[in-house]
Amino acid sequence: MRPVKDGYTPPVRPPFTPEATIGPFYPGAFVADMPQDLWTVAPLVAHHPQGRPIVFTARFSDGPGRPVPSLIVEFWQANAHGRYRHPNDRSNAPLDPQFDGFARLRTADDGTLRFSTIRPGAHPVGAGLIRAPHLRLTVFASGIDRLTTQVFFDDEALNASDPVLNSIADPHIRARLVATRRTPVTEPGAAIEYALDVVLRGDAETPFFDDWLP
Amino acid sequence: MKDQRSAGRVLSVVLNDRESEARTPSTRLYRIPDDAHDPFTPHPPGPALRPGENDLTRIAPGRPRAAGEGVVIEGRIVDADLRPVRRTLVEIWNANAHGRYSHVIDAGRNDAPLDPHFYGFGRLLTDDDGRYSVRTIKPGAYIARRDIDWWRPPHVHFSVVGSGVRLVTQMYFPEEPLNEKDYIFLVVPEQDRPRVIGRPDAPLAGDRVFRFDIVLRGRFQTPLDADLDHG
Repeated sequence: MRPVKDGYTPPVRPPFTPEATIGPFYPGAFVADMPQDLWTVAPLVAHHPQGRPIVFTARFSDGPGRPVPSLIVEFWQANAHGRYRHPNDRSNAPLDPQFDGFARLRTADDGTLRFSTIRPGAHPVGAGLIRAPHLRLTVFASGIDRLTTQVFFDDEALNASDPVLNSIADPHIRARLVATRRTPVTEPGAAIEYALDVVLRGDAETPFFDDWLP
Repeated sequence: MKDQRSAGRVLSVVLNDRESEARTPSTRLYRIPDDAHDPFTPHPPGPALRPGENDLTRIAPGRPRAAGEGVVIEGRIVDADLRPVRRTLVEIWNANAHGRYSHVIDAGRNDAPLDPHFYGFGRLLTDDDGRYSVRTIKPGAYIARRDIDWWRPPHVHFSVVGSGVRLVTQMYFPEEPLNEKDYIFLVVPEQDRPRVIGRPDAPLAGDRVFRFDIVLRGRFQTPLDADLDHG
């Protein structure tokens, strides 16, 4: 940085590498070699992560309402205690030896995916703010660059004060990030299913976030 | 400038790309409020890589070499503070010398032949200085839309996953006449286009070498195993 005469330092724009679409041919091996089911830690293993098992189902569609097949979603979430397995998360909430929080899935020909995981815990952020339980999604598909969004649960009281959800002023648009509980009554321990339609473009477009550094 | 902080980008639609037209959000992206912005970007568990995964020219070590011109792509990956992005997963994939992907989706729309000795995908981890090196076959061009004679120029896909960073991009080759007619290349702002073209470097073991350095927008924190193991 080179200060000019009045002491003002112009912002330096690093030579960032531009993003591009993932295209139609992202190798299946790259999906298969990452976790896809965070409830099942390994085949035939009796251990499970702590917390309530859930199944999140989503249907991805485009502007004309057609399903988007072969779309890649990377999920990232806190464990049941609201702790991320991430070097920057210095909270005192415990890690869960059975839970890493990252999964990578591909949509089927009908644009749907089904993700078995646990309901994440709430966690503090910034000055006195509480993040409601949510899943973080990074979305890749042919024709689009990387998209990110966050998904909430409709039976969660903390949604009312979540700072990210409520940064979207229009309640109708905000509601597009809230997954609907599909399981009215469950036996103890059974997974609760939540469903969400994700619309990439059009009148019912899902809100996506800009996570580039300011 | 205030607007840029309170509202996010509007995404560009790729001209003549029907999938881009149908799938690109039309609404300005929402910016996460600064006081709710935490750095916990996806941090996948590091997969166990096998030897030779960064050599796409053979489907396994010791097997015959794939058809076409072998090329080495190497470079350094740094973050927004220009610090090395260490021990981070890089995934690479590209078409074969005939312009055909091994992916089943390419089977119905591309009559170029498969190469029995080329799958066209590989992985590696960057070293402690953020450096990487991969050997592949220079991909062929292929047609994207016959009705408007749109050809994709030779290009190699890159995915970088790590703490604080996520990037998917495509690297092009220099002096390819198709670059300047490719709508996916042209959607890159003009001043940034040199950043997605490999720069020729000294050949290595008979293969041409292209240098492709990557600068990520995130601020990388080197994950230390000790940080992650006390669960």
